[in-house]
Amino acid sequence: MKKKLSAIVLAGMIACMSLGGLIGCDLGAKAKVKDFVMPKDGFDTTKQVEIKFYHTMGQSKQKILANYIAEFNKLYPNIKVDASRVFGKYEDVRDTIVTEINAGEQPNLAYCYPDHVAMYNEANAVLPLNDFLPNGDFKDMTLTRTDGTTEPYCYTQEQKEAFFEAYYNEGFQFGNGKTMYTLPLAKSTEVIYYNKTFFDANNLTVPTTWDEMEEVCKLIKDGDGTTAALAKDKTPLGYDSEANWFITMCEQYNSPYTSATGKKYRFNNDTNKKFVTRFKGWYDKGYVITSATNNNAYTSSLFTEQKIYMCIGSSAGASYQMPDRVTVGGQSVRPFEVGIAPIPQIDKTKPKAISQGPSICIFKDNDPQKVLASWLFSKFLTTSIDFQAEFSFDSGYAPVIKTATENAIYQQGISEADGYDNLIQLAVKTCMENSSSYFTSPAFVGSSRARDEVGKLMAAVFSGTKNVNDAFKSAVSTCEHFAK
Amino acid sequence: MAKTSTKNQWKAWLYLLPALVILAVFTVWPIINTVRMSMLKDYNGLAMIGGKTFEFGFDNFKSVVEYEGFANALGNTLLLCVITVPISTMLALLIAVALNSIKFIRKAMQTIFFLPYVTNSIAIGMVFMAMFSMIGGSATLEPDSVGLINNLIVACGGKAINWVNMGSSKFANMAVLVIYIVWNALPFKILVLLGGLQGVNKQYYDAAKIDGTSRFRTFWRITVPLLSPMIAYVVITGFIGGFKEYSSVVGIFGETMGPTGTDATNNMNTMVGYIFDSLKENNQGGASAAALILFAIIFAVTMVNMYVSKKKVHY
Amino acid sequence: MTDNMTENLTENEVTAEQTATQQNDIATADNVMKKKDIDAVAKRQRVVKIFVQIGLYVFLGIMAIIVLFPFYWMLISSVKTVSEYNRTIPTMWPEQFKWDNYAAAFKADGLNLGQLFLNTCIVGIVSTILSLIITVLSAFAFARLEFKGKNILFAALLATMMIPGELFTITNYVTVSDFGWLNTYTVLIVPFLVSVFYIYLLRQNFMQIPNELYLAAKVDGSSDLKYLWKVMIPLAAPTLISITILKMMGSWNSYVWPNLVASDTAHTLITSGLRGHFTTEYGTPDFPAQMAAVVLVTIPLFLVFLFFRKYIMRGVSRSGIKG
Repeated sequence: MKKKLSAIVLAGMIACMSLGGLIGCDLGAKAKVKDFVMPKDGFDTTKQVEIKFYHTMGQSKQKILANYIAEFNKLYPNIKVDASRVFGKYEDVRDTIVTEINAGEQPNLAYCYPDHVAMYNEANAVLPLNDFLPNGDFKDMTLTRTDGTTEPYCYTQEQKEAFFEAYYNEGFQFGNGKTMYTLPLAKSTEVIYYNKTFFDANNLTVPTTWDEMEEVCKLIKDGDGTTAALAKDKTPLGYDSEANWFITMCEQYNSPYTSATGKKYRFNNDTNKKFVTRFKGWYDKGYVITSATNNNAYTSSLFTEQKIYMCIGSSAGASYQMPDRVTVGGQSVRPFEVGIAPIPQIDKTKPKAISQGPSICIFKDNDPQKVLASWLFSKFLTTSIDFQAEFSFDSGYAPVIKTATENAIYQQGISEADGYDNLIQLAVKTCMENSSSYFTSPAFVGSSRARDEVGKLMAAVFSGTKNVNDAFKSAVSTCEHFAK
Repeated sequence: MAKTSTKNQWKAWLYLLPALVILAVFTVWPIINTVRMSMLKDYNGLAMIGGKTFEFGFDNFKSVVEYEGFANALGNTLLLCVITVPISTMLALLIAVALNSIKFIRKAMQTIFFLPYVTNSIAIGMVFMAMFSMIGGSATLEPDSVGLINNLIVACGGKAINWVNMGSSKFANMAVLVIYIVWNALPFKILVLLGGLQGVNKQYYDAAKIDGTSRFRTFWRITVPLLSPMIAYVVITGFIGGFKEYSSVVGIFGETMGPTGTDATNNMNTMVGYIFDSLKENNQGGASAAALILFAIIFAVTMVNMYVSKKKVHY
Repeated sequence: MTDNMTENLTENEVTAEQTATQQNDIATADNVMKKKDIDAVAKRQRVVKIFVQIGLYVFLGIMAIIVLFPFYWMLISSVKTVSEYNRTIPTMWPEQFKWDNYAAAFKADGLNLGQLFLNTCIVGIVSTILSLIITVLSAFAFARLEFKGKNILFAALLATMMIPGELFTITNYVTVSDFGWLNTYTVLIVPFLVSVFYIYLLRQNFMQIPNELYLAAKVDGSSDLKYLWKVMIPLAAPTLISITILKMMGSWNSYVWPNLVASDTAHTLITSGLRGHFTTEYGTPDFPAQMAAVVLVTIPLFLVFLFFRKYIMRGVSRSGIKG
């Protein structure tokens, strides 16, 4: 009886397989959307059009966004922006959109990271923006807004130059390097948060190179041979993201990490092994702790609890680096002052720091009016000085346009920046001052896997479960297995 | 079993119709699609929309089986199943019987064992962190806290064990996972078995009492056989669920699926974890192939279970 | 339970209170035995019985503590401040009670707890009722009716449980989108109406009911449905109520699917709403506020359970036809 039964179920499965194989090639094709073609009469300002915008903004930022949607609607009352928050992280936005693209239900524009766009682009779902750039195909076309003013479809040369160049160029890092797919919205970088009170009390200088970093760590942990250790029972440095550390070091040494073309995973090389070995030495001496070696908890809480004196983390995470107020002599005060500085370098003349933070991409749609409406809205957000300034102080993300510094709110915020209550402002300030050093790594399908794996590689070497060679080999082979 | 005349057969199908229609649309069709995707090399829905074509064949299966992390995931999954199903079933049975044979504060007790249902899953994850995880410490510093369980062990004169942190042994990891899974599985099993026990005729027990049969004997000779359909159910579905274990590993170790320093070759990843890994890269072909391999294994185990239960279960 | 095990348990971790009771009981029992040797056998039986009972309570007590711990954690977390909650060494008792978390759960802007609650109730109740009907009919067909291919069909149904459902997400999303079901109650209810787990559970239960009853009913000329309604359903009530609770809990806790297919406010379910609402944009949740909200929405569920509990626990043994 059982034999017969298994045989029948097996037969059923085989039938399913052959059926599946037969109909294999037609499924899903229906979801394909047309490429954008500019309508003869351009954007129709009389017809109601609704666009869907996916983001991950929290409460306070949503309020700011809502204000600026209202501003935008004064210019284009016929565009209804349905901003909906995808709960969770940026990856959750990606996963939702990937599923939706399969059914042709994707939004019109969304928060994105470059590797997400690489994935959407497999379905040719993202709108190339070249035609909308200065000297693009639509450069001579304008449209009239409700308030009677006219607006060109393209970015003006001036608007383009207002962008920080590195941020603007990030939009081109796909495939041939000539097509722009993303617009920067708000950016962050990594900075060192240090315990200024402790540094001042001990006459320590904030390290600007990794060699200086090693010395400072030594002073704190071991002393310099003649003097005693400053704090033997503490760890000098915390680094929140092993992956960022690895990628940043590759960039600082100008050593290969990944490539969007040809051989994708190139990080298994001697330079990289050397710096990983060096930092393993630091780890063993108790100079550094990372979030993986801190039981996957961000090192920022160690910093606020004064268990570490320096913490390298995102400038957008400044609010987590602020120590809780304590009551001293009846007064509520912050227990120490926080300082913020750029991260250490290999070559001080060519500083490199990773650039992170959301960009925006626009999706193709069969309705060209929606595409145009999405473009106009993105253009509004990326060129509005006020929006950029206000948005940045809410989060510690820096504005993407230089002109945001002209905004009154911005100027006031920067003038108030300090190491106590106004740490976010200080983070934004530091972030803005170092914008020339920003880099991004290539974006391709599988680039986020490379990130995950180099992070794990560092953790494996630090923890001693793998030697350096094995850890590198295994990281490359995992990358290659999952994302060929 | 009753023989209904053939002309009444349509009735059975009529009763089954709603279930079958819904299953056909939302389960069978996706399964067919899974089979399709598994046969197309590195299939990816987005690339298909983008116009890419995929080679037909068994390459996905080959690639999955050859990957070194796959054997690790398979081994972990099998081990977890074989350990957790008997433990949780036995424990649930004991608790259900105990709940059924007390009088004082019985209601309160039964309510207590229901509470895990209404406990938020995040809370459970956090509790495990607090219980087993050491906190603080580095290569040169002692941890700030060795965790609740270790505090207990130390208080009893034992030595603190590294359960889930960096450098912990696979044995310790497995032990924690087993406890977590059993813990999670208990309430449902208790509920089902308790429901079954309520249905057992008290006359059997009265008869046993008069005969002076020992409690132990009563348990094995009366309770277990009478409950056997429910036990069979709990075991079979337990195995099916056990092979699909995933969230418990994430709950304890996070997305890295193992203590710090481990990777795909030596972490606590499971089969479903591997499938998720493939889906994350949008490699639906590889994920489908792995799912079908998992299916084949669960299917074989279930067949064995059904065969055994056919012999032992007393309806 | 064996006496051996009982002793082990009593020797080990017993709370002070329980130990005291136990010693009193033993003392009383000993005295009685010394006085009347003739009744020794009967007394020993009583002692054993007391031991067994104590053992049962100790066993249940320990298991209860283990099982309850997360629940306790949920409660204390709901009144902690965020920074206390994030403390590297967790506190077992809140240093200061922040009841504001509860107020925040009610007052949080944009969070319409009433709407979430209503949506969840509609989805929960409708899907539970429909699901019960489908489950009962299917389980009845499998347990009582004879038809060609029954065993194969049943095996095939079991087989569908064996593929991880996460793989179905994209395919099912495409299907519901083709049906035009996005952002409706239908999409939250229909795809999960059939659970082979429940059909299987109920079938097991139905099969315990003696077939003679069915045959007798046939002879009496009752229809299948009448028999099902009058005999099978009452006899399987505890299992049906278990299914009801599980299904309700399912609606309460479902997250991934509702979030994907019905993200508009008119259809958001409670877990999506809460989880999202108390999550910072870095994906790190404001756990204390979230826990407070969870505790709030758990209360109705708990009351529902208390209401149903007596039906589950009452059982059907009194009807005397169970075998």
